[in-house]
Amino acid sequence: MDATEASAVLARARQGDNDAFRALVEQHSRSAFRLAFRMMGNEQDAEDVVQESFLRAYRQLGRFESRANFGTWLYRIVANCSVDLMRSKQARHDQVRGDSLDDATAAELPDANLAGPDRLAQSAEIDRRVQAALRELSPLERAAFTLRHYEGRSIDEISTALGLGTSAAKHSVFRAVRKLRVALAPLRSLES
Amino acid sequence: MTEHISEDDLTLYYYGEGRRRDAIERHIDHCADCSTLYREIAGTLAMLTEVEAPERGDQYGAEVWQRLRNKLPDKDARWWTALLRWERLALVGAAAVLVVAAFVAGRVWPHAPESAPGAASNAPLVARGDTGSTAATAAKAESAAGVESRQRILYTSVADHLDRSERMLTDIMNTAGHADISTEQRWASDLLDTSRLYRQDALDAGEQSVAGVLDELERSLLEIVHSPSRISAADLEQMRRRIDAAALLFKVRVMSDELRQREQPPERSRPRTSTQTIS
Repeated sequence: MDATEASAVLARARQGDNDAFRALVEQHSRSAFRLAFRMMGNEQDAEDVVQESFLRAYRQLGRFESRANFGTWLYRIVANCSVDLMRSKQARHDQVRGDSLDDATAAELPDANLAGPDRLAQSAEIDRRVQAALRELSPLERAAFTLRHYEGRSIDEISTALGLGTSAAKHSVFRAVRKLRVALAPLRSLES
Repeated sequence: MTEHISEDDLTLYYYGEGRRRDAIERHIDHCADCSTLYREIAGTLAMLTEVEAPERGDQYGAEVWQRLRNKLPDKDARWWTALLRWERLALVGAAAVLVVAAFVAGRVWPHAPESAPGAASNAPLVARGDTGSTAATAAKAESAAGVESRQRILYTSVADHLDRSERMLTDIMNTAGHADISTEQRWASDLLDTSRLYRQDALDAGEQSVAGVLDELERSLLEIVHSPSRISAADLEQMRRRIDAAALLFKVRVMSDELRQREQPPERSRPRTSTQTIS
């Protein structure tokens, strides 16, 4: 779909043409899913975010400026829907943190001298701990960190995507890195 | 540069951002403390390797659309908003018709003996043939069928209402901070009117759990209706927290699903009167 065609499809979608909106959904679903998965860390939540994001985009199409890029606009919606879902899940499961790093003990840490299948298991364990550390971040910290670390977005872009001031975006990333550094310190000593 | 570099500046440096990059680089080369700290930061971040999203095929967009299409609002928001008054009238009118129909039906249909707590609880008696009279049995069966029919209408209507409420609440939960929620407020106002009528119907029908969920829903709808249209981010966040804390969206979804199950007519192979009240 070239720029002129994309613009025409977008204009029709804004006028309430569902076929045009369908074309936008079909064009942008995969990229929306990729971002949602990175944000949420699992497929089910990512699918929920994709669906919610398109519903929200549909409702707000009237507010969308036709000169803007739909993909960029949707990217922001996906990022914010992810934050909303993280907040919602966090509120519901605040007391249930099965993988809390607080419960980790030195005895449970992977062994640095393993090889072969055991090494693979260790790698999986490291991944599990990394995921657990990410889950310990606040929704904004996790979103800002994901955009910076995994998506390679600059602080200014993160600030725009999440509707934050530059300083707030920057400090969300800093707090995330600080927390991760503390949480993953035992693993770092093994790696070294 | 004599002072140490802060952890935050080293983080920005790691990501290729921030000012004084040359100076920071030179400092790290000569300062053991900052060099150690930088290695810690870099070592930590290196552990967070690329997250590969599961691959989605070419048909994924079409699949998303299939899941999405039935959840889209019926009309374009701009003129859908203008039609809100009509929708409101239609919803309230439909609810009023339902109430009147239920009342008239209650008058017209043969009444069960007073000793029985209700038509539904008569069902087992009819099924067992304990009344002794064929005519009375038929009348009771007819009465029970009428009750079932009215209940199914109520289930369908309330489930539709809960679905609409869920969409509105989801909209509120996903609205960005400091937003204009006037559209959602008009929507909530419509739902509030309808919700009160359905709650009364549910209470009359002895559906306490349905009435309970509708009662909770009304409280949130009231809060949305009475909030300022240009709501601050902090107020919006508080509203969301209250909705979250009450697990309202979850309850609305579960109740809607349950009513959808219950609105299904009984299977033909089963006796008409053998409803769930037998157990």
